[in-house]
Amino acid sequence: MTGFLVRRLAQSFVVVFGVTVITFVLTRMLPGGVARAILGPHASPPEIAQFNHDYGLDLPWWQQYINYLNQLLHGNLGFSYHLNETVVQLLSTHLPRTLILLGISTLIALAVAVPLGIMQAVRRNKLEDYFFTSVSFALYSMPPFWLSLILIIWFASPPLNLLPPQGPQGEISSYLTWDQGSALILPVASLSLVTIALFSRYMRSSTLDNLVQDYVRTARAKGVSNAGVLYRHVLRNALIPIITLLGLSLPGIFSGALITEAIFNYPGMGLLFWNSAQTRDYPVLLGVTVVVAVATVAGNLLADVFYAAADPRVRVSG
Amino acid sequence: MSVRASVPDFPNQPQLGPIAEVEGGEARVAGSAWAMGARVFVENRLAVVGVAVVLFMFAFCFIGPLLYRTNQVNTDIYNLTAAPSSQHLLGTDNLGYDVLGRLMIGGQTSLEIGLIAAVLATTFGVIWGAVAGFVGGWLDQVMMRIVDSLLAIPTLFLLLVLAAMFIPSIPMLILIVALVAWLVPARLIRGETLSLRTREYVDAVRVMGGSGARIVLRHIIPNTIGTIMVNATFQVADAILAIAALSFLGLGVPPPATNWGAMLSDGVNYTFQGYWWLIYPAGLAIVITVVAFNLIGDAMRDAFEVRLQKR
Repeated sequence: MTGFLVRRLAQSFVVVFGVTVITFVLTRMLPGGVARAILGPHASPPEIAQFNHDYGLDLPWWQQYINYLNQLLHGNLGFSYHLNETVVQLLSTHLPRTLILLGISTLIALAVAVPLGIMQAVRRNKLEDYFFTSVSFALYSMPPFWLSLILIIWFASPPLNLLPPQGPQGEISSYLTWDQGSALILPVASLSLVTIALFSRYMRSSTLDNLVQDYVRTARAKGVSNAGVLYRHVLRNALIPIITLLGLSLPGIFSGALITEAIFNYPGMGLLFWNSAQTRDYPVLLGVTVVVAVATVAGNLLADVFYAAADPRVRVSG
Repeated sequence: MSVRASVPDFPNQPQLGPIAEVEGGEARVAGSAWAMGARVFVENRLAVVGVAVVLFMFAFCFIGPLLYRTNQVNTDIYNLTAAPSSQHLLGTDNLGYDVLGRLMIGGQTSLEIGLIAAVLATTFGVIWGAVAGFVGGWLDQVMMRIVDSLLAIPTLFLLLVLAAMFIPSIPMLILIVALVAWLVPARLIRGETLSLRTREYVDAVRVMGGSGARIVLRHIIPNTIGTIMVNATFQVADAILAIAALSFLGLGVPPPATNWGAMLSDGVNYTFQGYWWLIYPAGLAIVITVVAFNLIGDAMRDAFEVRLQKR
């Protein structure tokens, strides 16, 4: 187990290092360079030279990279000249909202997808299975923003007018009030619907794989009821691959959050990122990219660790 | 498409060649792996539906404008956001363009970008993965860690950064989408190359003095064609979605060019006016096309992956 952990941890560090190289290279590729991007198109050559000198941009590239890495390690992700705040400050207000949105919708997705997948596996190739298979197929072929739009049209505009068309704008502490909480329903729904489609497919095939295993036959032979076999034996084994799936779907979930936040004007990290893309606020774009990538790597690492904890076979071979 | 091309046109006619020489035995066509795959593919009715839908979408976008003539150059300020009528079958948008006609023009861009980006990404990814897997050692390590690092950045974030940096024109948009999409095929093909490079025929080529480049290009890559084709099909679907998302987020093709995602982006401003013809047609066009490509991809996976076949 320790060997496996150490090796996995080392891999993750290499990937995070790779991400910093990529973001560094991206800053070097900015049209007109960093100085132009920040000072604007009307800056004079002496101004640019002065800027480059002040920020160490006239140093050799490897020295610049070491400086960049040094800044990152000290928790300095950059400074937004548009918003006149550091990226860390911006994230401290925006990131928690995104985490709440992602947390709630992933939990809901799991709570729905797991039973749904089991049901489809048990009733495979019957009417319900075909129905939900088609629905999930359509859901993950659908542009997520279109799904959100349809939800808004159906539930947040005349004649129904059931829910607010934009996400909660208040403080996180106010989310428990009806006003703010109900505003969270549509963003959460549009995020979880897509995730449910994906997770239930995996849960279905993972349950199917386990239903034909020898241990199921043994349990049946011992006289365990159908429900007992399903919940005490199959469910626990079928859930293990879902751990990995959760880790692997993290990037997709982050991308989904970006779109959802942009549509519902929900002031999280995704909306911050989208606004920065439109104003070409590069420090924010690259700072957030590093954070999201590190979160993805950490998520995958955690998923692997949990997987190893849940499935002894991984530990032995790893 | 080449899968379909290898299906005999007239299966009931007597077959010539080696199959005709079989005497007495079963009348089953022995055929190549291609023919076998093609048979499994055609047996899958959903896949045939997928191909039909894709062909229909191409006809709709590229031949449609010849039959249904609309003015997609000049705006029509007397007919802004007009409801569907006999003059404009799907109404007009906020600039007075006929929506049905615009759906065709926008579809051309979506399909073109999707196809070219998928081909580019697959080609690059396949070569990258095959070289990494074949050469192995530290080069493999470096090449695959680059892939891992890029994959750690969620797709849409990477797309947006690139689109913000390089103001997109259509060729630039294709490049941006391809730049994000080549990672998955690279990983898949590397995995397959790792097992293929130990086969006897690779040793045989080596013994005969074949170079590494020859082994990779003429032997390893052709043997991964199944994986390549399946992945390329899914890539088209993903690319169409990626362009739609980028355009929707306002970082796609600049006007007057349009695509399905950009049309939706314009429609969003009229969500509350009940102008359904600005929201549903473009969205449905995307969903139908993407579902069709996904169906084809699924069926091709069944056709190529022998272990999944029931026979």
